[in-house]
Amino acid sequence: MNIANFSQMLSFIKPELAVSVTILVVVVFDLIFNKNKKIIPYIALLGIVVTGYYVIQQYALSGTAFPTSGKYGMVTVDAFASFFKMIVLIATLCIVIFSYYSDEIIKTQGRLGEYYTLIFGMVLGMFVMISASDLILIYLSMELMSLSSYVLAGFTKLRTRNSEAALKYLIYGAISSGLMLFGISLVYGMTGTTNLYQLNAALQGADVNLYTVGFALILIFAGIGYKISAAPFHFWTPDVYEGAPISITAYLSVASKAAGFALLMRFLKTTFVTYVDPHGSWQLFNIFDWQTLLILISVLTMTLGNFAALWQDNLKRMLAYSSIAHAGYMLLGVLVLTNKGVSAVMFYFFVYLIMNLGAFFVVMIIANKIGSENIDDYDGLGYSSPFLGVTFGIFLVSLTGLPPTAGFIGKLNLFVALLDKQMVVVAVIAVINSVVSLYYYIRVLKHMFLTKRDEKISIPVPMPAFLFILVMATTTIFFGIYFTPITSWAQNAAAILHF
Amino acid sequence: MLTEFGKIFVFILLAGLFVAVGIFTAKILRPHRPTKEKLETYECGEDPIGTPWVKFNVRFYVVALIFLIFDVEVVMLFPWAVTYQKFGAYGYLVGIIFLIVLFVGMLYEWGKGDLEWDRPQPIIPYLHKEEEQNK
Repeated sequence: MNIANFSQMLSFIKPELAVSVTILVVVVFDLIFNKNKKIIPYIALLGIVVTGYYVIQQYALSGTAFPTSGKYGMVTVDAFASFFKMIVLIATLCIVIFSYYSDEIIKTQGRLGEYYTLIFGMVLGMFVMISASDLILIYLSMELMSLSSYVLAGFTKLRTRNSEAALKYLIYGAISSGLMLFGISLVYGMTGTTNLYQLNAALQGADVNLYTVGFALILIFAGIGYKISAAPFHFWTPDVYEGAPISITAYLSVASKAAGFALLMRFLKTTFVTYVDPHGSWQLFNIFDWQTLLILISVLTMTLGNFAALWQDNLKRMLAYSSIAHAGYMLLGVLVLTNKGVSAVMFYFFVYLIMNLGAFFVVMIIANKIGSENIDDYDGLGYSSPFLGVTFGIFLVSLTGLPPTAGFIGKLNLFVALLDKQMVVVAVIAVINSVVSLYYYIRVLKHMFLTKRDEKISIPVPMPAFLFILVMATTTIFFGIYFTPITSWAQNAAAILHF
Repeated sequence: MLTEFGKIFVFILLAGLFVAVGIFTAKILRPHRPTKEKLETYECGEDPIGTPWVKFNVRFYVVALIFLIFDVEVVMLFPWAVTYQKFGAYGYLVGIIFLIVLFVGMLYEWGKGDLEWDRPQPIIPYLHKEEEQNK
């Protein structure tokens, strides 16, 4: 490899380099300002802004870099990757604001440097995961992201539940990544390559045993399914979401899920598609029936998530099950195997980012004061602090998917993509699921507004937190009415680089 | 005939068989005269004192981790040292960046006091039990 070529390839990983430099700077500043750690969140913000600049700069770039052999490289950069990197970055920005106001994190003041180092470790893992086009790199990035999140899940160390969450997360994660690695090794054994683009040609041409391929692909899907908490691999989700500090719960529910979905879609489209017809429909070659598998997983995921959420009294646990159900909805956009489905998933992610982080933020502000996430402690809060009550209501209505909120448009896009492929039965199941979910979201509002309580609790909302909630709530409503910019952004970015 | 994986399978079978036959033959041939001392966990004629499950200092782990990191560093640096001349200044720079990252890691360990064996104030973490949480 010659040097000019190499330095040109470095321009493909500028955002990743920026994140790496941020990690180093955070560590160094953590050591220099040993007594006063107040400065570290601002360095994190600066790092996010610089990274965001490079991500936007990369928007026009399209290609692969760092080939091991042949034409196609290990890293793919395209508009699709930039969109998801932007989602991850916005989520990270929100989490920095979260952590600034979270009592749980403030109590660990002495370890703030480690906290942000690990967060950026996760960001680096997710960035690489989003643009990886090589099975080894996919595995490495998943490990990098997972290892950081295991530590973050048990970061506060103050409660037994916290440690329990981290340990469960670690054990489930180790098993699923082991399964995935086994699947990768089988695929490599059959084709002799780990590059997704070369795998496409190799799997089409080679005389492979269909059962072995199916087994290997299911194993690889197990690793990805664990990250997006799809149904048979979701067992860690409720316990980890309940036990982890709430800022990390919110982060896991949005950012790591976004990276997982980006990986799933890129993996499907690069490895198994022969050509994309003019309607944007993917033509898969006949090796493994992805559509049936994804329909099964999707229906199972959303039904299980919604029905389990009905009985939850802890809000964090309820939101955990709701995030499983949302993973099921988003799989609807993947299983249609069209460009339209991909753009629907991307739009949904943008909306889900806003409404889910908003809901978690309100839960956190309330938990800071009353020290509990139990639904019975929310009695009458709608009257004593109307602002939090109303905005929480907006987020929950949007999570249900009712107009005039953005959640409605997101779900509408997904269902339209389904109906385009004449999958009416799946669409009907999804709509029924949405109706079920209405019960547990509205139940919270019932506790807040229709149940009286004797003592008055006033919950202090600091001014910037107030503004943050206000911005999240208004954008939830705003994109429910004027959604064209995001839709067109998602549609433009939906074309995953393919040959 | 056998595929490549088939050969591996035969290899696995043979390996299992080899162990089983070895142990079984030894069992038939060896004398069997157990005494109390022979059946102790550590057969040195000493009675064991206490349980083997003692807590030992967590800093042994830290030292092991630090050692591991710098051990791996050498593994990474060796191929670089052999080939960097082909890449000129650019290759040299890559190695320097790698070393800077590691150096920051070492500064971190140093700054947090993990390189000193006698830490002045051990920080004992405090754990809320679930009962306190639910009161």
